[in-house]
Amino acid sequence: MSLLEIDNLHVHFLSRDRLGEPRRARALNGVTFSLDRGEIIGLVGETGAGKSLTAQSVMGMLRPPAHRIAGTITFDGRDLATLPDAEMNAMRGSRIGMVVQSPMTSLDPTARIGAQLVRIQQAHGKIPRQQAEERAIAMLREVGIPDAPRRFAAWPHELSGGMAQRVLIAMALINDPVLLIADEPTTGLDVTVQAQILELLKREMTARGLATLLITHDLGIVAQYCDRVAAMFAGTIVEEGSVADVFAAPRHPYTARLIASAPDRVDLSSRAQFAGAPPDLTALPEGCVYRDRCPRAQSACAIPPPKADFGNGHAAFCHFPEPA
Amino acid sequence: MAVLRLLIRRLFFALPILFGILLLTFLLVRLSGNDPAGVLAGPTATGEDVIRITKQLQLDKPVWQQFIAYVNTLAHGDLGRSWLSDKPVVRELLIRLPATLEMVIGGGILGALIAIPLGLRAALRVNGILDHSSRILSLIGFGAPTIFLGLLLIYVFFYLFGWAPPPMGRLDLLTTAPPTITGSYLIDALLTGNWEAARSAAARLVLPCVCVATVYAAPLIAQTRAVAMDVLASDYARYARACGLPPRDIRRMVWRNTAVPVITYGATELVALFGAAAVLELIFSWGGVSQFGLMAILKGDFAVVQGFTLLMSLIAMAIFAVADIVVMSLDPRARK
Repeated sequence: MSLLEIDNLHVHFLSRDRLGEPRRARALNGVTFSLDRGEIIGLVGETGAGKSLTAQSVMGMLRPPAHRIAGTITFDGRDLATLPDAEMNAMRGSRIGMVVQSPMTSLDPTARIGAQLVRIQQAHGKIPRQQAEERAIAMLREVGIPDAPRRFAAWPHELSGGMAQRVLIAMALINDPVLLIADEPTTGLDVTVQAQILELLKREMTARGLATLLITHDLGIVAQYCDRVAAMFAGTIVEEGSVADVFAAPRHPYTARLIASAPDRVDLSSRAQFAGAPPDLTALPEGCVYRDRCPRAQSACAIPPPKADFGNGHAAFCHFPEPA
Repeated sequence: MAVLRLLIRRLFFALPILFGILLLTFLLVRLSGNDPAGVLAGPTATGEDVIRITKQLQLDKPVWQQFIAYVNTLAHGDLGRSWLSDKPVVRELLIRLPATLEMVIGGGILGALIAIPLGLRAALRVNGILDHSSRILSLIGFGAPTIFLGLLLIYVFFYLFGWAPPPMGRLDLLTTAPPTITGSYLIDALLTGNWEAARSAAARLVLPCVCVATVYAAPLIAQTRAVAMDVLASDYARYARACGLPPRDIRRMVWRNTAVPVITYGATELVALFGAAAVLELIFSWGGVSQFGLMAILKGDFAVVQGFTLLMSLIAMAIFAVADIVVMSLDPRARK
């Protein structure tokens, strides 16, 4: 049994338009994947594909108008979706660590770095203050913050973006999680800093045997740091497999074009509209969600695509997968 | 250290600001079209009387000469004498100040104690019962003119129900005032253990303070709610939840981050209350300094108007300085 198993997860945004008519945006449509201990999976896709929403679902942090309509999320043998709030809250920040994309604004501006690192430890267990402080300083040192004892007393606004991201990584790791969710951890950082942060993450993930869900726009990051990759389009995982298999021979037309358009390294956020507008989640086509933009689409695509299995965990959801 | 720097900076800028205010007030009262000499002389006075008074007040001289003469006396710590009562302006103002402070500060504290928790709760439970009731309270405070609110409260609680004492001054008729220590009857009575006077002063304070509190709470509720909602939707509040911090920690964090803009805003509104107080003081025959200042404006007692404006400016500066010090203690970014 895998550490994290997401099965047929459906999340919809339910709201009403100005005339009071109910509106339903189908943001996640049957997301299914699993993650083993020590494994790094890269979740890629354009903006609005549902990558972050998937992460939020795992964290139990969906807020109205987002609602989980169907599906299960099993973490370490327990169904997170039915877990009481208090137990889910105990899980966040201890068993599941999270790193987010805007480190500068994600730290409490009115609390010192050290206080925030102590606070998260004390939120998840009885630990003497002094011990928590020592652990915090050790953790700051571990994530490569120079002069850790002095930084312990620093305020968030005194940190650079890269430093702040290191602090967030320290926050995520300090309670020894088994699962790490990194939601675009390097977006908005300088390129050189990006590489440092990713190296740090990779080192920690390997050393701790962490299962990691890495959400990114950047195929280059996936190729370099992940074991497996899952490509998302319109709230659906259209293809998944090992990084080697998928990059060598993408089978879903979407993944194929994604990779083809990225000779070395592509930032999807800046080119989200290659070959068509983002899908309208309130009016997704019947059958395959990629139908409207797909060059290979035929009338058969109006029925939901089957799972085409290519062995070694490589699969695509498509009626007419690309030849290898 | 940062506090000291702030105070020195404020003191440094206080003088030019006060001078500007002084000049502006001086010109404005002289442009107001009031004829103080005529008012002072009264309806039975002859033309000669008016000319004599005009000369006596030096109103026949050019405005710039009047201003220089005024600044000259002011530099010697003298605000001059009231043209109406012929008493020193400083004394006239200071003797009435405690009454106003008692009402405005009391009402302000009451208003803040209602508005801030209510605004925070409303933000935590948007569209809940508290949210809606706080919006109604806010609407009343915004919508009802102070004078109407005051008269309504008097009508209901004094005239209809008889629960409140008559709106005539700060003490019951037969109660002797406690010896002056702070000037606030309530505080002085409590300090001297005069329970009867304390009870009487407190009872008289209720309605005016409720009025002030309502006027103060209205914008403060809306502001607190709006800021707290921003804070709740912020990246750091999201991340705090992702860290599994207990609700108690999150509430404390939301409050600390909400407090900073709310305190700054609250200070501005508190200063505005001193103006709103004039009407309330009139209705409740309070005898405060705002009422006195308003009457001086209406009667053209220029010396008092100038002194009053100066006093209010000093109060505003003091309130802003206190607010900034509190903000500095809460927000490290303000300490740079």
